[in-house]
Amino acid sequence: MYDEKNTAPAAIEPFDKEWGVGVSGLTEEPSPFPRINRMLKWVKNIDSTADSERAKIFTECYEKFAMYPQNIKCAMTLREVFRRVPINIWPGELIVGELSAPPNSAPIYPEFSVDWLVEEITERPMELRRNDRYVISEEVKKDILDLQKAWKGKTVSEAIIASYTDEEKKGNHLGKGVILDGLFVYAGVGHVCADYEKLLSVGFGGIKAEIEAKLAALDTTNPADLSKKDFYTAELIVLEGASTYIRRYGELAADMARSEADAVRKKELERVSSNCLWVAEGAPRDFWEAIQLWHIATNMIIIETNGHSVTYGCFDKIFWPFFERDIASGTLTREFMQELIEHSFIKMHQLRKIRDTFAITFSSGTIMGGTALDVGGVDEFGNDITNDLSYMVLDAHAHTRIPNPWMGVRLHENSPEEFKIKTFNVIRIGTGEPKIFNDAPMIESLMRYGKPIEDARSYVGVGCVEPSVPGKTYGMHDSGSFNLAKVLELAINGGRCVDCGPSCARWAECGALGKSLGPDTGSILTAESFDDVAASFDAQMKYWCDIMISCINKMDAAQQRLKPLPYLSLLVQDCIGRAVDVTAGGALYNHSGPQAVGLGTAADGLSVIKQLIFDEKTVTGKELLQALRDNWEGHEPLYATVNGERMHHYGNDDDRADDIARFVMDTYCKYIEHRPTPHGGEYMPGVFSVTNNVLHGTYAAASPDGRKAGEPVSDCIGPAHTQLGSHDRRGPTAIAKSVAKLDHARIGNGEILNWKFSPSAVSGVTGREALISLMDTYFADGGMQSQFAIVGRETLIEAQKKPEKYADLLVRIAGYSAYFVELSTELQNDLIGRTELSFD
Amino acid sequence: MMTNAAGEPTALVTNIQKYTIHDGPGIRTEIFFKGCNMRCIWCSNPETLSALPQLGVYPAKCLGRQKCGRCAGACPQAGSPIRFDADGVIKSIDFAEYCEGCLRCAQACPAGAVKIWGTSMTVPELMKIILEDKAYYERSGGGVTLSGGEVLLSAEFAELLLKECKKEGVGTCVESALNVPWERAQAVLRLTDLLITDIKHMNAEKHREYTGSGNERILRNIKKAAEFGVKILLRTPVVPGFNDDDENMRATGAYIRDELGGAVIQYQLLPYRKMGTEKYASLCMEYPIGDRAVVPRGEWENKIAELAAMLTDEFGIPAAAGSGNKLPL
Repeated sequence: MYDEKNTAPAAIEPFDKEWGVGVSGLTEEPSPFPRINRMLKWVKNIDSTADSERAKIFTECYEKFAMYPQNIKCAMTLREVFRRVPINIWPGELIVGELSAPPNSAPIYPEFSVDWLVEEITERPMELRRNDRYVISEEVKKDILDLQKAWKGKTVSEAIIASYTDEEKKGNHLGKGVILDGLFVYAGVGHVCADYEKLLSVGFGGIKAEIEAKLAALDTTNPADLSKKDFYTAELIVLEGASTYIRRYGELAADMARSEADAVRKKELERVSSNCLWVAEGAPRDFWEAIQLWHIATNMIIIETNGHSVTYGCFDKIFWPFFERDIASGTLTREFMQELIEHSFIKMHQLRKIRDTFAITFSSGTIMGGTALDVGGVDEFGNDITNDLSYMVLDAHAHTRIPNPWMGVRLHENSPEEFKIKTFNVIRIGTGEPKIFNDAPMIESLMRYGKPIEDARSYVGVGCVEPSVPGKTYGMHDSGSFNLAKVLELAINGGRCVDCGPSCARWAECGALGKSLGPDTGSILTAESFDDVAASFDAQMKYWCDIMISCINKMDAAQQRLKPLPYLSLLVQDCIGRAVDVTAGGALYNHSGPQAVGLGTAADGLSVIKQLIFDEKTVTGKELLQALRDNWEGHEPLYATVNGERMHHYGNDDDRADDIARFVMDTYCKYIEHRPTPHGGEYMPGVFSVTNNVLHGTYAAASPDGRKAGEPVSDCIGPAHTQLGSHDRRGPTAIAKSVAKLDHARIGNGEILNWKFSPSAVSGVTGREALISLMDTYFADGGMQSQFAIVGRETLIEAQKKPEKYADLLVRIAGYSAYFVELSTELQNDLIGRTELSFD
Repeated sequence: MMTNAAGEPTALVTNIQKYTIHDGPGIRTEIFFKGCNMRCIWCSNPETLSALPQLGVYPAKCLGRQKCGRCAGACPQAGSPIRFDADGVIKSIDFAEYCEGCLRCAQACPAGAVKIWGTSMTVPELMKIILEDKAYYERSGGGVTLSGGEVLLSAEFAELLLKECKKEGVGTCVESALNVPWERAQAVLRLTDLLITDIKHMNAEKHREYTGSGNERILRNIKKAAEFGVKILLRTPVVPGFNDDDENMRATGAYIRDELGGAVIQYQLLPYRKMGTEKYASLCMEYPIGDRAVVPRGEWENKIAELAAMLTDEFGIPAAAGSGNKLPL
């Protein structure tokens, strides 16, 4: 146990500093640094916008360089962007670099897709959006409209969609949403963590020398070396572009310093200038240069591709050598480095990605999305890694209270007690940050998917939670989202949607012709035992898993063919060694990770069928199916019964339901795990929804767990809740025990367990200690991840009514936190509906 | 002691609450026994007062007689004790005149509109539930808390249950008013790691007026418990206008200092809040405290904190505001 008298700071604040419980968004100036508070205010008051400079250069250069191999064309185009896009340095900045010129702006990426953006601009003005609002100038709008003609038929999305069969389309995001695979169809992949340790130790100059040596060693008369030569040529082109881009910031800062009247600011600008001029090629020499290079190198990944969840890595591990050296030599103070960390968080908060209306209805408030950064955990030898920076990063969140980065704390059985206290004190603020990972099952899972133990121990959670070896993995995490509830619907109704009828948009080409969405694998009308129902579910699962994998493979292949990523390939091992682009298998570890959604809904549905139809025989399959077709109207007693406490529901430490949940999850895993991906890796299943549970719910008819048509399905790996109430009724230990019964290490693409506590349930020392014990026991039992919403239900309802009063109320959504008042109403309601564990 | 048809000892339990964190150390499972011999006007658990099973009625959950009507269908008297409103929604059950207490209506209700307060349970049935969370007790220093109602009205059963807990290595707390003969308490306290008990008021008359019972036996038993050697978590539910005056608080402080020696590990002043109104409504009972003692939330908590600081200063006793502070165990 920790020494209660020891309050010496391991960071800036004492380890047991309390910031209050459930007080997210109630602090005006959270940081002790005036510069940080000023920047926070400045950033929050600027409208998001779009910038067309990148898009214009891409249109011009794809045409101009059309005769080059695809990767060289992409490299030359990106180099032009780095050479030519306008850049700025904003007041007070100590770390510089943006995605595009106006503050809080998103670049445009026409090479992926254009049509939807044009449709948004012409039909649903983004400045009128209630959430995820963008104010775009008329000039930029005109530029975007011009893109459509230039890119017709040339985008990645058009190539992918053209390759889908009708069978695939009718079940995927273009049809009935059994699988949602649109993420990487309309945008880049992202979901990657660069090799920051290497970049910060050798600099771009070191990487350049490595490539030059490789290039010099090639035999240009050997046909096998031709593609290698193209690859290295592309790498050198893009690297030159990257160095130029950083240097331009150095020159701009020098110009600004010359005309700066304020002596203090002048000095800062001079230092910013020398930082950039040095790290354009050189390896950083102190913490400040390192954080500058880390920040701008990441921005360049996002300028190359709009894939989100570009991850910042394990901060305390990456920066420790710089921190230790600077403290010892007195180069920089601890306080100043704290200020730099907080500053870097604000820079992440300024990143933008434009999404369409459909996406922001169900996944709102993500801003950029997936700016993941972890602290804590073990090193490659299994020793605790927690250091002063781990604590400083947690303080930095308490001092900024913005939803970036998406923070993760890695815990293991030897994590210091002080670190846990700091972690849970930050969690109890109620912003939803950080989430916590359990090292043991994360590491075991990485090993099951082919990593040696040293690499497995070095993992980072990419994006939301996806386990990944930083700098060595191209994981295509989040490559699809699979609706377990919809599959159960088809499995109990002969492959047809329960609401099959003329109101369906696909009626004319499907139901009206006597066809069905899925194959006829059985029905509860004819099933003679629960085994029959389980067999039908299994067969239906196999069919849809195959369809999903086929869709994702087409997307994977098209991304490879049309959008190689020469810049990212500089920063992922072993692209340079293999002379292969990262999209084509250059990384040491390659995966594709689609998620299952609606585990609780499917499990409870099967459990209800087993209990009522086959065990107790109080309801017939016909009665239940009719109730679902009628959306429970006129079947109120049955509706109450299936939602009632007599049922065996997942989340109550009841083996009869938990065994079924395990069957559902294992069935999904069995049809996904270890299958080959086109870029040379293997598939890994995940079990989390982010916010797709709300979206998937809109595609699914009423379900036997007591859900009405259109309601969200259950979120992530947690129990179901319906309009009528939560299906977990026995408190947090029962939830933890139920969830722990699943085979977590099998979930290679990660899982999320959302907890929602009322502030009173976790307040005081007793509340904190009980919460830590709850998580310690859950983790000892095999649980993989947890994240927390600590906010009163009344507060959320009040915030819905008076959004102006709660502008800063930050809450946990799924993989991320967001401002509550900026969420869509659908998502707000889903959040209010989740079980709140309250013990008043 | 009650027994079931098989002759096994039973007790009536109204609720089993897991992850209780404010009634004893660590993560606990709290078991609420039915039946109480006091009638505190602020009581927030009215379903535990009577020693018999009861039905609670929740009209908001009722599906209506037209759509459902299963309660009336299950009733041996064809539903005559069940009162519905004009829309066919259940209003109440006439316990006094007609109801035989067979509980079939509640068992038939799919919606939880009729709830049974008081389920007869055996020691093995309770142990099965208690042991589900054993790993959580071990990690947190928690265990089981027997509460009520007045658990010592079921002392023989509690003794059997606590013996099993001891055998399984589960920590034990008993929350009792101690308003029973000492011998009855002693047998249970022998198996108790921590006793949670109250001093509601030092003045016997006031005590009788607000709780229906004097405080003489209670104070005597607290002292005996202290001498007996059991650790005590002492509490006062501070109710405005009843026991929050300085005179009573000082008398309590002095009593703890002078009479209870070092047995009291913490003295918690719990801010009274009106809770459980929906349970009173379900039982068609009036909340005796009514609209008295309504206080703004923050203000009342501040006053309690001041009182706790005063008691610590003046009497050197381990007073604490609320139940959020670590117990020195």
